[in-house]
Amino acid sequence: MIRRSEEVALSTILQSDYVFFFKGRPAREEVVKSLASGLYPQVKKNIAAKALYEAVAEVEKLNNVLETGFFIPHAKLVEIDRFHAALAVIPEGFDDPKSGATVKAALLLLTPNKPLFFQQHLNMLSKLSRMFQPAFIESIAAMKDGRAVCEAVKKAE
Amino acid sequence: MNLPPRFKQVFVLSTAMLSFISFWKAASIVLCDFGSSAYYAGGIAMKAFGPAFPWFIMAVMLFAGVMLMVYVESCSMFVRGGVYMVVREAMGKVMAKGTVSALMFDYVITGPISAITAGLYISYLLANLLPLVDINWQVSPNTFAMIFGALVTAYFWLENIKGVEESGENNVKIVGFVALIAGVLLVWSAYTIYLRGFTLPPFELNFTPAALGWAREMAWLHPVGVIGLFMAFGHSILALSGLETLAQVYREIEDPKLPNLKKTALTVFIFSILFTGVLTFLAALIIPGDLVATKYADNLLSGLALELEGPYWARLALQSIVVISGGLILIGAINTSFVGANGMLNRVAEDGILHDWFRHLHKKYGTTCRIINLVAITQISIILISRGNIFLLGEAYAFGVIWSLIFNTLALIVLRFKDTETEREWMFPLNLKINRVHVPIGLMLVFTVLLTTGVMNLLTKRIATASGLAFSAVFFLIFQLSERMNEKKIRLFQQDEEAEEKLNLRQEADINTVIPELGKSRRVLVPVRNPNNLVHLKSVLEHTSADDTDIVVLLAKISKSMEFGREQNVVMAEDKELLRSVVLLAEKYGKTVKPMLVFSNDPFYSIAQVAQAAGVSEIVMGVSGSTGAEVQLEKLAMAWGMLQKPGSSLTVTAKVVWEGRQMSYKLS
Repeated sequence: MIRRSEEVALSTILQSDYVFFFKGRPAREEVVKSLASGLYPQVKKNIAAKALYEAVAEVEKLNNVLETGFFIPHAKLVEIDRFHAALAVIPEGFDDPKSGATVKAALLLLTPNKPLFFQQHLNMLSKLSRMFQPAFIESIAAMKDGRAVCEAVKKAE
Repeated sequence: MNLPPRFKQVFVLSTAMLSFISFWKAASIVLCDFGSSAYYAGGIAMKAFGPAFPWFIMAVMLFAGVMLMVYVESCSMFVRGGVYMVVREAMGKVMAKGTVSALMFDYVITGPISAITAGLYISYLLANLLPLVDINWQVSPNTFAMIFGALVTAYFWLENIKGVEESGENNVKIVGFVALIAGVLLVWSAYTIYLRGFTLPPFELNFTPAALGWAREMAWLHPVGVIGLFMAFGHSILALSGLETLAQVYREIEDPKLPNLKKTALTVFIFSILFTGVLTFLAALIIPGDLVATKYADNLLSGLALELEGPYWARLALQSIVVISGGLILIGAINTSFVGANGMLNRVAEDGILHDWFRHLHKKYGTTCRIINLVAITQISIILISRGNIFLLGEAYAFGVIWSLIFNTLALIVLRFKDTETEREWMFPLNLKINRVHVPIGLMLVFTVLLTTGVMNLLTKRIATASGLAFSAVFFLIFQLSERMNEKKIRLFQQDEEAEEKLNLRQEADINTVIPELGKSRRVLVPVRNPNNLVHLKSVLEHTSADDTDIVVLLAKISKSMEFGREQNVVMAEDKELLRSVVLLAEKYGKTVKPMLVFSNDPFYSIAQVAQAAGVSEIVMGVSGSTGAEVQLEKLAMAWGMLQKPGSSLTVTAKVVWEGRQMSYKLS
């Protein structure tokens, strides 16, 4: 059965406090772990920190780095009822050996693990991949604060 | 910044663009071979056992209906390969080789018997027409038929070397024309019988000494009662020649495959009853007995036209049209014998039982010229040896027909016990279910009739037995030696050097050069990876209308070399195996697919890229055992989004299908 296509705006789930800037060239695992830690306050009522880290670590095993240099670690959690997102901006980037891309932006996406949300989840992944093209990534990598990044996201949507 | 292409090499499988044909076209192809026997079977049978021949020709035509049902069961199990595949699966390669050897004998005789019959019909027509313009025609019909037959065979020899294939359209036209003439003959015959009345042909068997063969020397084998019936039936069974064409044409029949096969079989059956059966019967009712045995023995349907009620000019005109229609269908049968023999030998060669020497391709035309030369030289030799004597060829004929039918039926019986797992789409009637086995009572009865007829033919048709056994032995020996040599070769060389050519993989520089080949209003993309996991392709083939939808099958192969900047990739044996499985499945459903292979650093990028370039409305994937359906859809969604051009609003339905379930989502 084809489910109803539903759009969720990234600007409604990404708050400026959850845009994290990284200095230097961090390791990929470090970026993912930092995003999970940073996002934890949003979901702490629903899920234990350990469970969140384990779920995100499981996702880490899958290579979701796109050739555009955008990385979308994402996890589906039964404990949550709405989307949550945190964005890492890495101006110097890190190299992903598998795709050969330099990653300057990574977005941790948490989606409710419920059938009704899966269509929205796919829409979100598609939208993120479309939005975070190299030029857009370069533009946010040059920004200094989360609010400006969120404004750019809103504009891009 | 423009992203680099995700793949560089695109291989397109040309053979899978095989176009599928309607049941009517399929029936016309079968009838161009099977129906041609109407022009000679009656005369040959009459010469063998006397005036009861129409009863037996009719009986053989009714029996053809039974054999067509046997073929429906075997074809529904094996889409391609014909009798060779059925016998091999049931009883092994040795028996399969024996069966094909016997069948080859008939393919080789079909050409000469058809060519000489056409020559005889033309010769007798000329004997009637030329005196009208004061030409004294003194050429012996047999000599004329021999020269004509040799020339026509030589013509088709050259045409087949050039690679001119059978045209389904031409077959439809020929059969349509023949049906029209048959209709005229039927109506005119009915009118003649109405005026003259009729007497049914006697049911007496008067075998000539030659027709009794070795049975004459066996005191216990009298040609009376049931034995006599089987002897006469055996002498008439040559009218069944050409049924194997049904198995050969099945792979090309369009969707819905099995219902269309049944319609093809029914069309062939009705046509043969009315054309071969009824017309032979009418010839016996209308032509005076002494003329059937003499003047018209080797041109029976011309005799029917000439002996109808009406003015001479009208009957002569009808004879001319009968000869034209006969010439067309008989000449078509000569070509079919080339195409059939060549096709059958090529198919067994794929199984490694024919040495590659035979498969040498012609430098200019790319045809398997050595096989064609072998068939042509044998056929022309037979024509010259026979000196245009159709009865001599009739005596030699039917060895392969009867024994291939015997082995085909026996194989189906064996498979009922050996392979109880495979669900039959259709089964020959009269079955008794015991546990998991459908005991084939009906098939066993058919087998008994066939075996009795075959044994009787062995004893009575001396020329057929001696020449058939000798010919089959030679071919069997060739198959045996070829197989040994090929096994040796396989041990020496791991890879088959010619495998690529057999699959007809065509390399294209870019996906965009392939897209214009997709001409239908709707497109579905079916990514494939594993020949054992094609449930999703099966589902698409089952539910998609091939009339308005292009089915693009994509093998996106991960190329390690692309990661290191090299561009050359090799199509491996497992890829070819997968593509072959795709083609076989498409053939099974009678739907055209467009398989292509791309080398890529990420299969999901390739899927998305091909889908967007081709503008597909649906992507149907099989479930991956390692990642699961949701991860597949997530990866595809990301690739889909990443490849979307700014401002683009392309959407696609992405499905993951597995046994009994499917997930379906929109990607935008």
